[in-house]
Parts: sequence; C-alpha cells; structure tokens
Amino acid sequence: MAAEPQRLPVAVDAMGGDHGPHVIVEGARLATERYGIPVLLVGDPDRMGDTGGLAVKPALEVVEMGAEPAASVRRLKDSSIVRAAEAVRDGEACALLSAGNTGAAMAASLLRLGRIKGISRPAIAVPFPVFDATPTTLLDCGANAECQPEWLVQFAEMGAVYSRVRFGIANPRVGVLTIGEEAGKGNDLVKAAVELLETGSWATDCGADYIGNVEGRDLMAGVADVIVCDGFTGNVVLKSLEGGMAIAQRRLRSVMTSNPDAAAAAAVLEPLVTPVFDTLDAEKTGAALLLGVRGVSCISHGSSSAETIARAVRTASDIAAEQIVDHLRDMIDGRS
Amino acid sequence: MPAETHMEQSPMNRAEVLELVRDRLADILEIEPDEINEGASFADDLDADSLALIELVEALEEELADRTVGFRIDDEDLQDLKSVRDAVDYVYGKVGAES
Repeated sequence: MAAEPQRLPVAVDAMGGDHGPHVIVEGARLATERYGIPVLLVGDPDRMGDTGGLAVKPALEVVEMGAEPAASVRRLKDSSIVRAAEAVRDGEACALLSAGNTGAAMAASLLRLGRIKGISRPAIAVPFPVFDATPTTLLDCGANAECQPEWLVQFAEMGAVYSRVRFGIANPRVGVLTIGEEAGKGNDLVKAAVELLETGSWATDCGADYIGNVEGRDLMAGVADVIVCDGFTGNVVLKSLEGGMAIAQRRLRSVMTSNPDAAAAAAVLEPLVTPVFDTLDAEKTGAALLLGVRGVSCISHGSSSAETIARAVRTASDIAAEQIVDHLRDMIDGRS
Repeated sequence: MPAETHMEQSPMNRAEVLELVRDRLADILEIEPDEINEGASFADDLDADSLALIELVEALEEELADRTVGFRIDDEDLQDLKSVRDAVDYVYGKVGAES
C-alpha cells in the first residue's frame, strides 16, 4: 500500500502583525494542536519565544508595517515575508500566511511566486457572510488602489472560480459594485468595466452568471456570489463594514447589561446572539486570499489575535488543498 | 574591477542585452518580443506600470546574477529608466563588453 503523501506545512510569517511574534507563534501552535495542521514558522528564532517544537525557517530581517512594500521586498531579501514566499515557491510549504505589511505580502508573493499567466494583477478576495447562504466574495479588497477596466473582468473570472471551488457554487452570480442598479451608474472605471463585462465571453469561459450592477447594501444580502471593484473601494468597504459591525455589537452588548431586566433577558438571548455575532466578526474569519499568483498567499489583519491566526492557518491549508491555482490556470487555458 | 561585480562568464554585447530585456519584458507584459521596440516608452507605449518595472528588474537581476556577481539595479536608478533603451543602456553599462 502506498504511503500517504506528507502534508506540507503552512509557512507563517512570524514577524508580521501589530502584537509581536509571540501572538503569531501562539496562533500557529493553536492551529497545530487544534486542527493538526503542520506549520513552518519563518522569522528570527531569537524573537519567537517558545515555538512548542514547530519547524522554524530562519529569516533575520523584517519589513515593518509602515515600510514601502516593493522597495522593502527588494532590499530585505532575508526578511520573514520574502523567505515565507520562497518556502511556497520552493515546495517547502503549501501556503503562505502573513499578518504583516499587506503591500509587502503582495509584493513578495508577486515577485517570488509570480503571476498566473493571463492575470495582469493579483487581487485580494474576502468572503462576506450571508445569513443562511454561502458567502459573497468581494474583490479586490486592497491589492490595487488604481485599476484598469480589463482587470475588473479578470477579478470577475477569478472570483467566479474561487466561489465555485471554495463554496461549491456551480454558476456564481457576479456583479460589479457601483452607486445604483440602473445601467450607466458609476465612475469612468466602472462604466468601462461594465461595457467589457456585458460583451465579452468571459462569463461563459468561467461559468459565471453576470448580473450587472450591485450596490453596497447588497454585499451581505445574498444577491450576488461575487462582487468586483477596484482595490481602493474594496478596502474602504471592508474596513467600514468591519468597523460598523464591531461598534454595533459593542453597543448592543452594552444595552443588554444596562439594567437587571435587560441582563436577565440577555442571559436568555446570549446563546442565540453569540453565534450571530461570531458570524459577523472579522476576527473569526481569519484570512483573505491573494488570487492570481502562482501559489496560495493568505493575508490577515495586523491586529489579529492568536485565535484569528489559528483560524487563518486552517483557511490557508484548506485553500491549498482545494488547489485553487490549478483551477484558475484551467479556466485561463480554456478561455475562448 | 570591484570584487563584488566581477564577471563569471564572458561579457554580453549590446544586442544580447537588448534581447534579454525584450524577452523578459514580453514575458511580464504577455506580449510578443517583436512588439517591443527599443525606443518604446514603458509608460506611454507599453502600458508598463511601476510594478511591471519592478518585476522586470527582479527578473534581470536573477538572470544576470550568475553572469556578474553582485549585479543589482539600484532602486534610486529606477526612476531614470523611462524606456527600453534606457534599461538596455543601464544594464549594458554594468555587464557589457566595454564596461
């Protein structure tokens, strides 16, 4: 009987994140203990603390959170983010996870893993929860502040493949984010992209169902499976929703403990409400995926807790097992 | 000759440098090499943005590292590379037969 192939670890950038290496290491340890996922910690061994026996790939430089991404990646060749990307490129790891400088994670992924042929620019894909339904994936959530109309078509193709592979949606409904449902609404970029999205064969090629314009309020309403926009807009939408939901939750919890009657009611409601809150909590979802590079590259918020990192490691491992890069290549090869 | 930039192989002539730059750029921009003229501007004629140029620089450094130890395109020089000719002249100045 053939031996089961050895599972490759997730390369975790141990130096990335706002809270220091110990939080990332703790999250990596949690992922291994709880989910059985092997992890390769990449960074300065002297700053990691107790790694609990996890494998370590030394990298003695760090791209700081505020550093200029591309220049830093070029200059700091022994940085944790660069070495982690190289671990994926060289087949030492199945995926990369970083909670550090997002631009540097993108630059390192682009320069070390390379772009998939036929994709001009990678995009950050983030699944948003939809009640009683599969998530809606928004991309780009921040990789490209300035976009060309053709790139939005490619985001639509990649989003459709991601949605099918990750969430099992056979013919993902794809919309473009703008300021009104009616045709002709939007800025120059959106209008030019809509023209391409309405006329090309891309939807047939990738098995998507193009549904036209969608608005911000549709994001979590289940009207689309994939929504595309430029990275500036997507990042503003992402952070606005996360911030708004966090404030709403805090306010609701405050009201629920404001007097004895409310507290008594809250005790009854708590088991019902908490899972809803968890669904809406960005900390519980873990990682976003950089789609369009020749490897799995996942990005977490800099503020991620150890719990979030553990979930993100699991997400990265799952996405690697789903072979999303191969599916994207197949789609591009099949373009008419 | 500085030790960190000494030649490991025979120096390249200018036509070889042009071919290398053209091939790598074509690969990055996903166009045919013969669509790239030496006089083409990266931004105006080839629609190559700053990220594409960094991809080009990284590719050239990787390709030429074996030939010229320590070969590197300095970040501060990048802003002066506006056209294919600029890039070819720059690289040829570092690895060329007359350098």
